[in-house]
Amino acid sequence: MITRRRFGQLSGMAAGTVLLTPAMRAATAPDIALEIAPYSLEASPKHHFRTVAYNGQVPGPLFRMRQGQEQTVEIRNSSSEPEVVHWHGLFLPPEIDGAMEEGTPMIAPGGHVRYSLKPDPPGFRWFHTHTFAGADLTKAQYGGLHGFVLIEPRDAPGAYDREVFLGLHDWGGHFESSDDGYMNPVYDVSTINGKMLGFGEPVRVKQGERVLMHVLNSSPTEVHWIALAGHRFQVVALDGNAVPQPLTVEMLRLAPAERVSAVVEMKSPGKWVLGEVRKHIQNAGMGIVIEYARAGGNAVWTQPEKLVWSYRGFAEAAGEGKAGGSEVNRIELTFDTKFEGHGSEERWRINGKSYPDTEEPLLRNGERYRLVMKNESMDDHPMHLHRHTFEVRRVDGSPEMQGLRKDVVLVPGKSTAEVEFVADHPGRTLFHCHQQDHMDRGFMMVFRYA
Amino acid sequence: MRKCAQRRSTVSAYLLAMGCVLMLARVAAAQGNYEIQVYGADTVAPKNLMMELHSNYTVTGQTKVIDRVYPTNHQEHETLELTEGINDWAEVGFYVFTSEQDGHGVQWVGDHIRPRVRAPERWHLPVGLSLSTEIGYQRAVYSPDTWTWEIRPIIDKTMGRWYLAFNPALERTLHGSDVNQGLGFSPGAKVGYDFTPKINCGFEYYADYGRLGAFDSLHEQQQQILAVTDLNVSPKWEINFGVGLGPTAATDHLIVKGILGRRFDWGKKSAVD
Repeated sequence: MITRRRFGQLSGMAAGTVLLTPAMRAATAPDIALEIAPYSLEASPKHHFRTVAYNGQVPGPLFRMRQGQEQTVEIRNSSSEPEVVHWHGLFLPPEIDGAMEEGTPMIAPGGHVRYSLKPDPPGFRWFHTHTFAGADLTKAQYGGLHGFVLIEPRDAPGAYDREVFLGLHDWGGHFESSDDGYMNPVYDVSTINGKMLGFGEPVRVKQGERVLMHVLNSSPTEVHWIALAGHRFQVVALDGNAVPQPLTVEMLRLAPAERVSAVVEMKSPGKWVLGEVRKHIQNAGMGIVIEYARAGGNAVWTQPEKLVWSYRGFAEAAGEGKAGGSEVNRIELTFDTKFEGHGSEERWRINGKSYPDTEEPLLRNGERYRLVMKNESMDDHPMHLHRHTFEVRRVDGSPEMQGLRKDVVLVPGKSTAEVEFVADHPGRTLFHCHQQDHMDRGFMMVFRYA
Repeated sequence: MRKCAQRRSTVSAYLLAMGCVLMLARVAAAQGNYEIQVYGADTVAPKNLMMELHSNYTVTGQTKVIDRVYPTNHQEHETLELTEGINDWAEVGFYVFTSEQDGHGVQWVGDHIRPRVRAPERWHLPVGLSLSTEIGYQRAVYSPDTWTWEIRPIIDKTMGRWYLAFNPALERTLHGSDVNQGLGFSPGAKVGYDFTPKINCGFEYYADYGRLGAFDSLHEQQQQILAVTDLNVSPKWEINFGVGLGPTAATDHLIVKGILGRRFDWGKKSAVD
């Protein structure tokens, strides 16, 4: 059976094929070359996963770009499925943003596409597949199609000595009943940069270094909590955007698709574990060794007793500093599910409708909008707005705040969150829960520009 | 997927019928309404304890003392069931049966133990499958078969709002009047429909056909159908109640049942575990 989503993918794929013109063949070597191909990941000698990856590695390559400096991109799809690459957090036109719901053509198996993009805004971004997985928990974001992008600002700050990129991911998913009776994916293995704790190369550091850690949660569905034994994180950016109030914290919380950039002062020589705070997930492999020069012995882990994180500490209270904007248009969005029996997958809904039947609110260029997201479900939802950055204004009953700019916000179950953005990137704009199984079950909508 | 309430048929035993009087005697003994439940295939999760109280009242049952077995009429049965999850494919259950009745007071009836294994979810079977076996003792004044053994295959399936379960159980008397009878066939089945996320209504069917390969006549078989409701109010609680009719002579004619279960999780100690 062809679903409406699948039909849209195939239609887009046909359009994408038309785009493969002789001009592309004549083009010179691209700045960014991506090949999508089958790959066998060795998370440990005992844990192998057949997946699909970019350029034969998991995570995919790190692309460093200069803000505003045009890049040519060539993507070859050597896999057996139609693919599309989403540039998460970038202000790109919908034709190349990488979501077929916005109109980006799919790349047919064996096909390729070439285009140019102008990187913006500066900061830690990423790229990933934006396809449908359904019941196959090896496809789409369940697999290895994700990589890092760092857009360096024109005037680069640099109160650090070096950068480290860390990607969190979960593998071997299968559905099990959740506490509320619905099916949720659970995972056999969790990794950092594709390796289980003890099986990857350690991050080698020197005493006195200030290491800027860029941490990405590319998990298809799971929130992760990360701590580094013997050290603390000075969080300087969330989702690649500098926070108004850098804060030093014991641990990081990253919802799916969220990024945290944090400086760690290396002043405790030894071998330490950077890993998931929750024991069962670290036991499933989510960890990496941080090794000082000339340090010996086993890596040390110090188990925190609580999970502590809040967006609020990084934001300014409303009224401080710059104002959030004058005229604001409110868009009320209610999230819930449609029950179709305990033997069926629930459909996720926004204002009572599932994609592709969801509303398409109209935005006017240059105006400011507040999304009031009322989550009536028990689940937390990492909500992502394509092609824009929003400002988090309220989360889970917090007072009004400002200055915290992100492209993903975790909306806790049975709570309301509010974000604001300026509609200044015309074109179809996808808004969705970044949890793959929720996306697949209709938790998406598209904003249109007038 | 549906959180399966576990349901199973009664512990049963019966006497050989010899003429009309002896048949009545068998009727009296066959109704052992201590745990009226059709099993679902799920097992209790490891480090979890399921505590259930089965409350069954026979509104219209056998009224005579036959072969020194108390009549079932107006008997109130309370059964405590404790089930501990061992791993993701095994559990073990333990039962304490009691009975309350005018003239006899509150009496201990017997105890059973019930190990059970299942096909783990990672096998991705299209149906739920498990196999339980149960062995135990009950006092002779409540059942002429004092030691019994049962093996119970369990198959279930959720399809949209529908839930189906089938328990083709086989029973064997180890000590008592039916010790030479061989295997008896006592199937149970359930069909339920999710009217809301919290309310499932349907029917449960329990029967005892008699000896495998030589079933009793319909008149002598136990046949019981119950209209039941399951309330899925919380993953920690199990609530099931129903009313059952027994149309054959060998069945208690009207019975009311209820199950109240509470799940205790010994495994989760803190947010960081």
